[in-house]
Amino acid sequence: MDLSLTESQEMLKAAARELVEREFPKEVLLDLDASAGGFRPDLWGKLVDAGWLGALTPAEYGGEGGSLTDAAILFQELGRGPVPGSHLSAAVLGPLIVMEAATPEQKRVILTDVPTGRRILAPAITEPDYGWEPDYFTGTTASRLGGGFLLKGVKLFAQNAFGATHLICPAAVDGGGLGLFLVDASLPGVEVRPMDGFSSGDCEARLDNVEVPHSALLGGGAVNGWQSLERAMMKAIPVLCAYQVGGCERVFEMTLDYSRSRVQFGLPIGRFQRVQDHVIDIVNLLDAARLTAYEALWKLDAGRPAAAEVHTAKIVASEAYYQACNAAHEVHAGLGIMREYGLTLHTKMSRALYHYLGDPAHHKGRLAEALAL
Amino acid sequence: MDFDITFTPEQERFRARVRSWLDAHAPKDFPDLADPVLLTEADYLKQRRLGRELGDEGWLYPTYPREYGGGGLSPPEALVIEQELDRLGFTLPPYYDSGGKLGAASIMVWGAEEQKARFLPPILKGRVRTWQLLTEPEAGSDLANVKTTAIRDGDAYLVNGQKIFVGSAHGADQSWMIVNTDPGGRRHQNLSWFIVPMDLPGVSWAPMDLLFAGNERGAASGLKQTVYFDNVRLPAFNLIGGENNGWKVAGTHLELEHGLMQTSLGRNQLMERVFRLCKERLRRGRPLASNPRTRDLLADMHVDAQIGRLFHLRNYWLQSTGRPISYEGPQAYLHMKRAALRTSKALHKILGPYALTTDPHWRLEDGHLETQQRGSIVAQHPGGTVEIQKVIMARALGVGRAAAGKPDGQG
Repeated sequence: MDLSLTESQEMLKAAARELVEREFPKEVLLDLDASAGGFRPDLWGKLVDAGWLGALTPAEYGGEGGSLTDAAILFQELGRGPVPGSHLSAAVLGPLIVMEAATPEQKRVILTDVPTGRRILAPAITEPDYGWEPDYFTGTTASRLGGGFLLKGVKLFAQNAFGATHLICPAAVDGGGLGLFLVDASLPGVEVRPMDGFSSGDCEARLDNVEVPHSALLGGGAVNGWQSLERAMMKAIPVLCAYQVGGCERVFEMTLDYSRSRVQFGLPIGRFQRVQDHVIDIVNLLDAARLTAYEALWKLDAGRPAAAEVHTAKIVASEAYYQACNAAHEVHAGLGIMREYGLTLHTKMSRALYHYLGDPAHHKGRLAEALAL
Repeated sequence: MDFDITFTPEQERFRARVRSWLDAHAPKDFPDLADPVLLTEADYLKQRRLGRELGDEGWLYPTYPREYGGGGLSPPEALVIEQELDRLGFTLPPYYDSGGKLGAASIMVWGAEEQKARFLPPILKGRVRTWQLLTEPEAGSDLANVKTTAIRDGDAYLVNGQKIFVGSAHGADQSWMIVNTDPGGRRHQNLSWFIVPMDLPGVSWAPMDLLFAGNERGAASGLKQTVYFDNVRLPAFNLIGGENNGWKVAGTHLELEHGLMQTSLGRNQLMERVFRLCKERLRRGRPLASNPRTRDLLADMHVDAQIGRLFHLRNYWLQSTGRPISYEGPQAYLHMKRAALRTSKALHKILGPYALTTDPHWRLEDGHLETQQRGSIVAQHPGGTVEIQKVIMARALGVGRAAAGKPDGQG
C-alpha cells in the first residue's frame, strides 16, 4: 500500500502547477470565462507545447501513453484554475472513444493528430431530451447514403464542442444500432454554437443533413457504439473527478486563507465556529473526492474491475465540488460573488460538471447495478 | 498509488501461524450478539481467557515492546492478527479494554521506568482489564473541568468525587483517570493522570440507565457505570507524568481516541447484512432491493461506507509509514459518527417498523438492525461529540489562525 505519488508523478504535478500558474493567471481565466466558448488558440498552444494533449494517446501515435493516474494528476492541476476548455474532450474522452471504437487505420489517422493539437476532438453525445443512458442519444439519426451516411439531429450541452475540429457523435443507424461518427466540424451542415449561462463549455451542435463518408463511422461496420462509448466514459470519469478534486482543493485554500485574513468583530472570521463548520465541510468533501477518485484510477490502471469505484467517485466528486463552492460562498459572502475575486469561476464549473458524464442520481442507479443489488 | 494493504510472504506465513493458533485457542460457537449488553459472564470470561493466551504470545498488544509484555511486531503484523480475529468475529483485544488501549499509550510515553515495568505488563499480557475514567457530570466536552479531586496526603493521594459513562459490564481490575490535584490552580495546569486499582477501599460503581448498545464495533461495552470515590487512598506511585501535568498526559491517548485506531479496517458486517437482506427479503412479492428509492438509499449507504473506509485506510497508511498526521484522525471519526446516523435513517426508511423491533418473532437479523438504530445515537459522544471533532480539526488546519505547529501560517 502506498498512497503517495511516484517521483516522476511528483515532477509531473509540480511542472503542471507551475505551467497553470504561469500561463493561466486569474486575469486570463476571467477573460476566458467572458469569451465565447472559452476557447483561445494561443492558450491552446500552451497545452500542446506542454505535451498534455497526448497524455493518454499511445506512444505509437506520438502520445505519452501514460496511465489514467498520470492524466488525472495533470487534470487535477488544470482543475485548480479552473482552466476551462477542450482539454478533457480532446485529450481524454475523445482519444479514449477512438481507442475503444476505431479500426487500426482510423486510430492511426485520428490519434496521430491528437498530441499535436491538429485534431481537437469533442464528443457531442447528449441531446435536447437530456440524459446519459444510451437511449437518450438516438434522436440523431444516420441514414445510409451512397457509400456514406447522412446525419441529422441536434446534440445539446456538448462540452467543449466550440473550437473543436472534429465531433464524435453517437447516432441511430438505420437498420439498427448506435454508431459513433467522427464528424469534421467544417463540413456543410455542421453548426456549433456556444451556449451562455451559469455553466461552462456547453455548446449546441446541429447536424443538418451532414454527409459523411463511410470511414467516419468508428469501427468500420460496427454499430455497437454504446459498449465502446461506455468503456471510454468509465475511464474518462475518474479523470474528470480529478479535475473536480483540483477545483475543491483550490476552493479550500482560498477559503482557509480568507478565514485568516478577513477580520470582523475584531477577530479573523475563522475564529468563529460557524465559519469553521464551512471550512471543515470543504476539507471533508475534498478528501472524500480525492480518495474515491484515485482509488478508482488505481483499480482501472491495474486492470481490475472498477465499476462500483468509478460510479462512487463521480457521485462523490460532483457533490463535493458543488457543495465546496456553496460553503466557500457562505464564508466569502459579498466578496465571493465579485467576478474579479475568482471564486465564481469555480462555482460555474462545479455546476457545469455536476451533470457532465452523468449526475450523482444517474450514477447511484448505476452503482446499485454494479453492486448487484 | 496502491490502495491494497499487501503482505510479504513472511507476513503471510505469520498469518498461517496465527490462523492455526486461533483454531486451537479461540472459543468455538461464540454468540454473535446484537447488543453487547447481552454478553454473559461466562462468555466474558472466555474472552478474557483468549486475551491472556494472546498476551502470552505477545499478540494482544502486538506493536508494544516485548520487554513490557507486547509483541514487538510491526503494524502490518498487528493488522494480520486483527484480520484473523475478525474472521472469527473477535476484536483485538477480544473484550472491552479501551482503558488498556489508551492508557498503555500514555504510560509508554509518560511513565517512569519503574512505572512502566509495574503497570504495562499486566495490561499488555491481558492479566487486567482497564476502564477509562474521564467524563464527569460537569466535565463532558470540557474535560478540563473535572471536579474529582486527589489531594496529596503523605505517600498517597486522597480521592473524592465521581466519574460517569465508565467502562462496561463485568467489572474492571483497574482504571486510569484524570482528576484535579490543585483545586485553586489554573485551568489545564491543575490536572493529574493516575492509574487506580479498583479494589481500593472507597471505590464503588453502579450501572447507569442508558439507551444501551455501544457502537464501537466489537469492542462495544454495552453498559456504562458511575464510579464513586469516597476518601480513597491512592498510592503516589500511581501518578503518571507528574503532578498537575495530566492534561499533557491525556493528550497522548485522546489523540488516539480521536479516530486513529485501526479497528475500522475490518469487513463491514453491517453493509454485508443489509445488502443480503435487501436482496432476499420480499415486499409485495419483490425483493426490497428492486425498489428504486431503496436502491438509491443503499447506494448512499455504500458511498458513506466507502468514504469511511478510505479515511481509515489513509490514516493507517499515514501512521504506519510515520507520516505527519493532523486533522485526519478526527475527520475519520466525524464521518463515522455522521454516517452512522444517516445509515440509521436510511434503514428506517427501507424497512419501516421492522428496523426498530426486537420482538423475538419478528425482528430482523437477530436484532442487529435494531441495535444499529440505537447504536448510531449512542456513538455520537464517545471520544468527543461531532462539535469537538470539528474544534480539533479547525485548530489542526489553522482555520482563522496559523496552523498548529506551522509558524508560517500555511496549513
